[in-house]
Amino acid sequence: MLITALKTNKEIAEMATNPWLIKQGITFEHFNYLFTKTPFLTFFKNTIIVTISVVIITMIISVLAAYSLSRLKFWGSGVLATGIFLTYLVPETLLFIPLFKIVGWLGLLNSYWVLVLVYPTLSVPFCTWLMIGYFSSIPKEIDEAALIDGANHMQMLLKVFIPVAMPGLIAATIFAFTVSWAGFLYPLAFIYSESEMVLTVGTVTTLIKGDVFHWGGLMAGALLAAAPPVIIYAFLMDYYIAGLTSGATKG
Amino acid sequence: MKNNALYIWLRQKPRIAFFMCLPLILMVLCLIIYPFIYSIFLSMLNKAETKFVGIGNYLFLFKRETFWLVVQQSIFFALVAVFFKALIGFIAAHSINAIPSKGQRKWRGMLLIPWVIPPALSTLGWWWLFEPTYSALNWFLKEISLPAIPWLSETFWARFSIILVNIWVGAPFFLIMYLAALKSIPEDLYEAASIDGANYRQKLYYITLPMMKNIISITILFSIIVTFANFDIVRVLTRGGPIDTTHLFATYAFRVGIESGDIPLGASVSLFMFPILAILAFIILRSVRKRALEV
Amino acid sequence: MTKTSINRRKFVKGISAAGGYTIAAPYVKTAYSAGKLSLGIWSHWIPGADNVLENILVSWGEKNGVEVKVDFITSIGNKLLLTAQAESRAKTGHDVFSMGVWMTSMFKNKLEPLDDVVEDIIAKHGPLLDSAKYYAHLDGHWRSAPAPTGSFFDSMVSRIDLFKEHAGIDLQTLFPANNKRDANRINDWNWESFLIAAEKLYNAGKPFGGTIAATPDSRWLAALFTSYGAELVNKDGEITVDSDEVRQVLEFMSKLTQFMPDSVYAWDDSSNNRWLISGEGSAIFNPASAWAVAKRDNPEIAKKLWHHDVPRGPKGRYRPDNSQFWGLWDFAENKSAAKDLLRYIAERHVVDACVKASKGYDIPLIISHFNNNKTWVEASPPDGVLYNYPMIGDEKPVAVAHPAPPEIASQISTNYVIANLTARVTAKGQSFKKAISWAENELEGIMR
Repeated sequence: MLITALKTNKEIAEMATNPWLIKQGITFEHFNYLFTKTPFLTFFKNTIIVTISVVIITMIISVLAAYSLSRLKFWGSGVLATGIFLTYLVPETLLFIPLFKIVGWLGLLNSYWVLVLVYPTLSVPFCTWLMIGYFSSIPKEIDEAALIDGANHMQMLLKVFIPVAMPGLIAATIFAFTVSWAGFLYPLAFIYSESEMVLTVGTVTTLIKGDVFHWGGLMAGALLAAAPPVIIYAFLMDYYIAGLTSGATKG
Repeated sequence: MKNNALYIWLRQKPRIAFFMCLPLILMVLCLIIYPFIYSIFLSMLNKAETKFVGIGNYLFLFKRETFWLVVQQSIFFALVAVFFKALIGFIAAHSINAIPSKGQRKWRGMLLIPWVIPPALSTLGWWWLFEPTYSALNWFLKEISLPAIPWLSETFWARFSIILVNIWVGAPFFLIMYLAALKSIPEDLYEAASIDGANYRQKLYYITLPMMKNIISITILFSIIVTFANFDIVRVLTRGGPIDTTHLFATYAFRVGIESGDIPLGASVSLFMFPILAILAFIILRSVRKRALEV
Repeated sequence: MTKTSINRRKFVKGISAAGGYTIAAPYVKTAYSAGKLSLGIWSHWIPGADNVLENILVSWGEKNGVEVKVDFITSIGNKLLLTAQAESRAKTGHDVFSMGVWMTSMFKNKLEPLDDVVEDIIAKHGPLLDSAKYYAHLDGHWRSAPAPTGSFFDSMVSRIDLFKEHAGIDLQTLFPANNKRDANRINDWNWESFLIAAEKLYNAGKPFGGTIAATPDSRWLAALFTSYGAELVNKDGEITVDSDEVRQVLEFMSKLTQFMPDSVYAWDDSSNNRWLISGEGSAIFNPASAWAVAKRDNPEIAKKLWHHDVPRGPKGRYRPDNSQFWGLWDFAENKSAAKDLLRYIAERHVVDACVKASKGYDIPLIISHFNNNKTWVEASPPDGVLYNYPMIGDEKPVAVAHPAPPEIASQISTNYVIANLTARVTAKGQSFKKAISWAENELEGIMR
């Protein structure tokens, strides 16, 4: 991909040349094209807004629910836990048609906020499950001790559970991040203006024009779109692994 | 422990608990359950969505040769892809865990890359490797004087290609899940086993695998769901061809429902996935629960 | 604002009810066309074409006091179709929406009938292509109006040098860039003689290639079927795939595919372009875009390309056709302004500007608009490369699965039954009987 991104259109079109090497000189025209001729930066900005919002919403919903489901058993909580899992089985290809109606009713068609609304349906079930798993593995003695100290549930969640279950939290964040960064079908269906578009769909739709391809630009776009998650992963994974090895969740 | 007064106090807080679950419940109700029920309703309409036909669409699907082909392919695709993902993920996690932690970081980062690139974009990169005219892979084969491979135009190779890409994308997910599980196995278990004279294979069989059983089954379950419902890869690489032999549920539903405009039938195809996955989920989860209780 | 527009609509309604409609006045109803109008329009492949269209629409709006907003939506990844589904269900979005090929029949119950508009257009400019009528005139009503952009023919695009050298055919004299073509010689340009040429080109290592995969570009096969009189479903909606004509065309295809690359079973809509531009192929079926891209990426190849007529079959010479329309959603707010705009975009100068902006790719759907269009005459290099791109001989444009009723034809087309049927015989080696019985089963499913 990197190689094609740096090639000239002409060299890409020629069959005889080695696709793995660049012979006719490196070019940055594709990157230049992306930044000047396409609203690539707008896509980038939108994607970041959507992703950050989705991660925050996901974490709030799933941490609260996971805490409640793993510790505060209430009537129907077992059913709810299983139910959440089952929602994960409902494929997005099935949901997006009925969602048209809801989205239209909310007046969110063609706005990236619609993604902030619907992406959590993909990320929350998994994250909740993951967090239930982590919270359950926290020894009960810890929260009893905290309760004796007079902590309420919120304090306990924030001061005890979240720090202890940090690796799980990071894993869930990574998951939510990936889901909303890589989402394709929903933006494809719900957004049509370039000013509201996100990276994945935007890269594909602005750079493939019917039977005309901008190979170089496409690869350049894919590379740039892939960079932020790679960086964030490299960063978060260290915490994730560090948290695991510190032994907080052993047992 | 169970009779501890504090624990009982905890159990008497259903209201707080319910309140904490409320955002989740609302989201699930409005954005999953309602649309889900609506699609069940949709799947029971005729093509023009003017008449209620009950289970007519499902009965109709059962008579279609292409539909059964899709069922077979989806199951085959999911099983093969998930098996290799699990295997490769396991081996990779083991190898990474074995190398000293300084080098680990680099490897972890590199092996995760396939999973973090949005599949819709990375598949385009793969497509560039497979694509009929410029196929970079075939160029390579030609250089070492091997015949070109019809990556996407022959049933066998087309299936091979989509499974390969799916494994490439999905294996890192197994890798991190396994790596986390491996790290949480207490060292002293291995030490004790070594003292008892256990060899590598015995340690694998009697310590590693049993300790990881739960995480393995849950990861496999999640992966089966995602793989079974896969859309992007097939859509970009083969669009279901050649001759419908790489269609999966999602792509076939899309073809029928969106491209051909028969939304009720498309919804029926998609819905068909649900019971298959639900049964599978039930079996796997039950065994996980059982083991969890035993521990 | 909304209140006045409601009043205005009632007023207009009153007029047409009172017989004002028969006056057939063209679009000049300036006074009524106020308010806002939003359009969701197919985004053009050809760079710059969208801007030209947008300028035309916006300046029409300025003249008529309508605030026109245009969103260009790509059809890549079925985005246009998905957006149409979203809007028709959400009952909100644009007023006017692009209806490519079969979309009119898919959304016919959600579109405002446009009989008044299209009849005005026909009264002023003359009839539309038959193939266009087939897509948009459903159940006795015009459901959408001709679009100024996005319609095209798949002519043959061939390499002049390779045909001359290996097949002994001089495409530039057979299909000259002037009106002096020799009808007798062209009469011999049929699928049988094409087969011989294809064999020679194949032996020279530069074969002909046509998509036989589940992709819209496989419509060349459908045109081939029509030219052999092979109908999958007849005009009364009866399944007629088990016929001698179908067997004949399958027989022909088993011969022709021997001289085609195997990769055609995996081609998508851009594969044939890339293949031709790379210099590997000698001929494809395509609109003017392959040549336009070659001009940018590989000018040496572009200079050797020629657009020309497709071969003739026993039942005629049919060229694959792809028509685009604009429809008006039934929930649209400003229907009167939209209808005025739809009349305006059928004007000669609008169509000419769009053809020019698309570098000759777009074709008009109104027959009289083909006359004297300089874009196709002047395209170069080579001089006259597009002269034969608008049909000037005995060719007829044809939709996939014509003459089946459009609702059935659209299903045959979007389920790619013809390409699948062919591939079953030519790639999978199934017997005619087995492949045809598969098709019968598939067609039964389609007609449910």
